[in-house]
Amino acid sequence: MANFNIDAKQNMTYDAIVIGSGISGGWAAKELCENGLKTLVLERGRLVEHVKDYPTMNLDPWDMELRGGISPELQKKHYKGGRSGFIGETNEHFHANDLENPYTEVKPFMWVRAHQMGGRSILWGKQCYRWSDLDFEANAKDGHGVDWPIRYKDIEPWYTYVEKFAGISGESLGLSHLPDSHFLPAMELNCVEKHVKGRLEKEYPGRHLIIGRVAHLTEPLNGRGKCQYRNRCDRGCPYGAYFSSNAVTLPAANATGNLTIRPFSIVQSIIYDEEKGKAIGVRIIDAETNEVMEYFARIIFCNASALSSTQILLNSTSGRFPNGLGNDSGELGHNLMDHTYRIGAMGVVDGFEDQYFKGRRPNGIYIPRYVNLDEKTRSDKFVRGFGFQGGGGRSGWGAGANLENFGGDFKDSLMKPGPWEFFITGFAECLPYHDNKVYLNKDVLDKWGQPTLSIDCEWKENEKALNKQIREDAKEMLERVGLKDIVDFDNQHEPGYGIHEMGTARMGRDPKTSVLNGTNQVHACKNVFVTDGACMTSSSCVNPSLTYMALTARAAHHAVTELKKFNL
Amino acid sequence: MNRRNALKKSALLAGSAIAVPSLFSLLQSCKQQNRLDWAPVFLSEDQAKFISAFVDTLLPRTETPGALDVKTDIFLDLVFAKTYDTKAQENVVNEIKKFNEECKQRHGKVFADLNMEERMAVFKNKEAESPKFNPKVWGTAVGEQKPVGFYRSLKSMTLWGYFSSEEIGVKHLNYDPVPGEYRGCVPLSEIGNTWSL
Repeated sequence: MANFNIDAKQNMTYDAIVIGSGISGGWAAKELCENGLKTLVLERGRLVEHVKDYPTMNLDPWDMELRGGISPELQKKHYKGGRSGFIGETNEHFHANDLENPYTEVKPFMWVRAHQMGGRSILWGKQCYRWSDLDFEANAKDGHGVDWPIRYKDIEPWYTYVEKFAGISGESLGLSHLPDSHFLPAMELNCVEKHVKGRLEKEYPGRHLIIGRVAHLTEPLNGRGKCQYRNRCDRGCPYGAYFSSNAVTLPAANATGNLTIRPFSIVQSIIYDEEKGKAIGVRIIDAETNEVMEYFARIIFCNASALSSTQILLNSTSGRFPNGLGNDSGELGHNLMDHTYRIGAMGVVDGFEDQYFKGRRPNGIYIPRYVNLDEKTRSDKFVRGFGFQGGGGRSGWGAGANLENFGGDFKDSLMKPGPWEFFITGFAECLPYHDNKVYLNKDVLDKWGQPTLSIDCEWKENEKALNKQIREDAKEMLERVGLKDIVDFDNQHEPGYGIHEMGTARMGRDPKTSVLNGTNQVHACKNVFVTDGACMTSSSCVNPSLTYMALTARAAHHAVTELKKFNL
Repeated sequence: MNRRNALKKSALLAGSAIAVPSLFSLLQSCKQQNRLDWAPVFLSEDQAKFISAFVDTLLPRTETPGALDVKTDIFLDLVFAKTYDTKAQENVVNEIKKFNEECKQRHGKVFADLNMEERMAVFKNKEAESPKFNPKVWGTAVGEQKPVGFYRSLKSMTLWGYFSSEEIGVKHLNYDPVPGEYRGCVPLSEIGNTWSL
């Protein structure tokens, strides 16, 4: 790969500035560069070049001194995000420093951040599902939040567009509420997953169990290799087999010659020009030197991640926008959403002892939403719905800890795979509530003396009712498909655990009640676009990243068209 | 113990910075009869003997290597030293002390000095009285995990230390670092042992 141009000193003025280089920022950079715009990507962390900067990608457990464990000092550095249980010796370097970047939990909220080039696109779960009009019409139909300014038909071609480039593997199902993507061949279900699928679909007509739809290549694409089934994705993939900004969109942007990426650039605010009535650039703090600098451009894409983009807008005050850029409605910072997480059931599957699998598939099964689709499936306990992720496998030596046994025979028995187990865990849609919010905290400053965020968010009655149903349904489904030793669970995780933060700068039709218009432009400052999770008007129950990609590509093309017409 | 060997081992284990105090404790230990042949980084010699005896009772050598063969005790000492905070380290020390006191009460000696039969009786008791781990989803326990106690916790760590060692991971489990494909249903007879990764 050609080296990235990081010499932003040469030039302080660009056609476009993109704030952030994660999933949506990478797409903004690619689309803007490919359309001929000289684009500056500002990344608050360090450069992470594909392959070169994946230090743990090939390490076996015994290659690491602590075989995955981390020191008390590193645990402290990740004292907030570490609650996820996902941070270890293999990927610690891709997680943000919570000590340097504090935030305040008015109510418990886990905020997982990744401050480096590529952001959380290195770490994400890669599950990709299209949203449908069930989602885009939901607010209008049940009166929660405000209406989305778009419908499925507006975004459908952009889903196809990004899927063809990102590479999504999966199986077509023909469901109108979970539209099929442009798919690469699906990964395979294992014996027990196939067995459970058969029983489940027979017991529950209208419910489906499918292989997860994921941004992993099952065939080579554009010079990227296919998945090798090592399941070491969060260390960075040497084959470029899963979608990340580092492996996919940023190299494409770079190939145009139009990209400059400036690392260690913390965007402090967007500069609004009162006379021109638009944004003219951004003010940054160099994270290494603390130098404050200004960069200028005709359009600005805000892709810092849902809460960070909103933080930047809140911090961008001017005579015209005393309460934050684009905050005429007072909705900036409000309507924060996530998905509920880790509520479900698991059990043991009898039989199949003579069967095993080969490869470590970085993917599981999915059970699409089946409630509140129509009159027939309507629930009187809650609005919206949920889907399940899960999977089957054989227990390994770890299960030995619970066996009431020890000694030589015990040890040797653990060399063989144990019983088959199967689990499902639900993800429920969260409603947009005005009082689930973030706001600037000027009492707690970060390492660079900047105000931080306070997060005040909680699950309310509808989410609790959905979670209750998830647990009951999960248990019942596993019982009816014939599993034994079933354990149902609700870990009562606070918001943030879904790592699907959405909202706080929502799209809407009416500038009085929303921050962004139907093409992700700040209503009253149209050359500022926000296309990450902040823009979401509702949360659906399916994973949001694919929708960020599609919205970003769509908005970038709109920006280019408008620039050509001199409308921005 | 040969001084040169002792120096080599402790340096290998802990890096030069920690080699000096370790070496000191090792030289001290050479005076004793029932001595360790490795230099702990965190544990005292008596505590280290406990850990060695524990992992050996749990996973003794058979036709396949035992926990001592793959240095599981040495690894656990390193885990205590490098991943535990002071409070957790104090807890390990206290729990080993408690465990040994129970052994003294029942069998008149600390755990490391018991014969295999007595050790097995202790383990049997501990198995019966120790709470269990909740199942896990994506690496985290589901439901509210009650403390499992020192015995089961150390058992779990011993299994980790043993099965994540190179010797077991490469030669005894089924090692396939780059599978290249996923096949959902393969006869177990074609594969044999559990995948190591």
